[in-house]
Amino acid sequence: MKNLVLLSIVAAFLFSCGQAPKNQEAKNEEPLKEAVVLSIDDLLAQASDLADKEVVVKGTVMHVCKEGGARCFLMGSGEEITIRVEAGEKIGAFTQEQMGSEVQIVGILKEVKSEAEAHNPGAEHGEATEDAETQDAHKILAENQAAAEREFFIEGIAVKEL
Amino acid sequence: MKIRKLLRIFHRDLGYFIVGMTIVYVVSGIFLNHRHDFNPDYSIYSEEFSFDPNAKDATNKATLIAIINDLPHDLKYKKHYIDSEGMVKVFIESGEVVINPDSGKGVFRYLERRPVIFGMNKLHRAAIGTVWKWVSDIMAFILLFVAVTGLFLLKGKRGFIRWGLWWMIAGFVVPLVFILIFV
Repeated sequence: MKNLVLLSIVAAFLFSCGQAPKNQEAKNEEPLKEAVVLSIDDLLAQASDLADKEVVVKGTVMHVCKEGGARCFLMGSGEEITIRVEAGEKIGAFTQEQMGSEVQIVGILKEVKSEAEAHNPGAEHGEATEDAETQDAHKILAENQAAAEREFFIEGIAVKEL
Repeated sequence: MKIRKLLRIFHRDLGYFIVGMTIVYVVSGIFLNHRHDFNPDYSIYSEEFSFDPNAKDATNKATLIAIINDLPHDLKYKKHYIDSEGMVKVFIESGEVVINPDSGKGVFRYLERRPVIFGMNKLHRAAIGTVWKWVSDIMAFILLFVAVTGLFLLKGKRGFIRWGLWWMIAGFVVPLVFILIFV
């Protein structure tokens, strides 16, 4: 029986090899070093040309989705310049502790072409869950969304805290 | 070896094996069910405070750090910016502080991870990368196996055909009714 427990521990350890590191900071170090790192302002300025391409972008985490951290919003030189980053399967989730941190994201830049790709906080979270911080953040993000002619977001591949 | 005996052995051992995983999914499932009632991952502490705006210029870093140091929970300054409405938004480790530099009023929100539950929720959401997705799939199949083999363990009056079938149907009816009414 003790051998079975030991076997489980070894199996779990072997399974977890290659798994994302706990804080995912060290993930995919090489592409982060090689690629040109864009600011959020630069990324949005060139978004039309970079759509569907892999990008590396640096910004401040302005808001993290309260429900599981499935997405975050990076802020550029001001709160009116933001982009949504979907954590996806590769990043897993962002954490509330990352709010205010400077992060570098590797991901695919996508244009929002359907309702399913758009950020729709009311439908995702329900109205009752929004606290004051979330309401403020969603208000700013909705304003930015409305002001933009075309809306883009990033499908995250890797994240590194700077 | 008879098939029923073999099933019993597998059911017993895999049943023991899957208890831990079942507890993780059940406990986190309850927390996630109530995600509209409270934050399942974090305890959130929110409090209003005030300071003398004439004595302090709450737009520079040193002053903000001093204000934050006076607040409870040992808050640590990260960075700040001034929003379009003139409010100072300060990012702290695990939360944020919003300050009105003119009125001297502010509010802080500090988040603290729920011990154990935070990790369980991460596992439940499969939000820790690709490998866990496959591990949890395997565990799900084991749980399914344990459930299905459990149907055929007993014979006779309390066996599946004469007794268990009706309980099983009742178990299907509960979610089915909700699907028919609400979905």
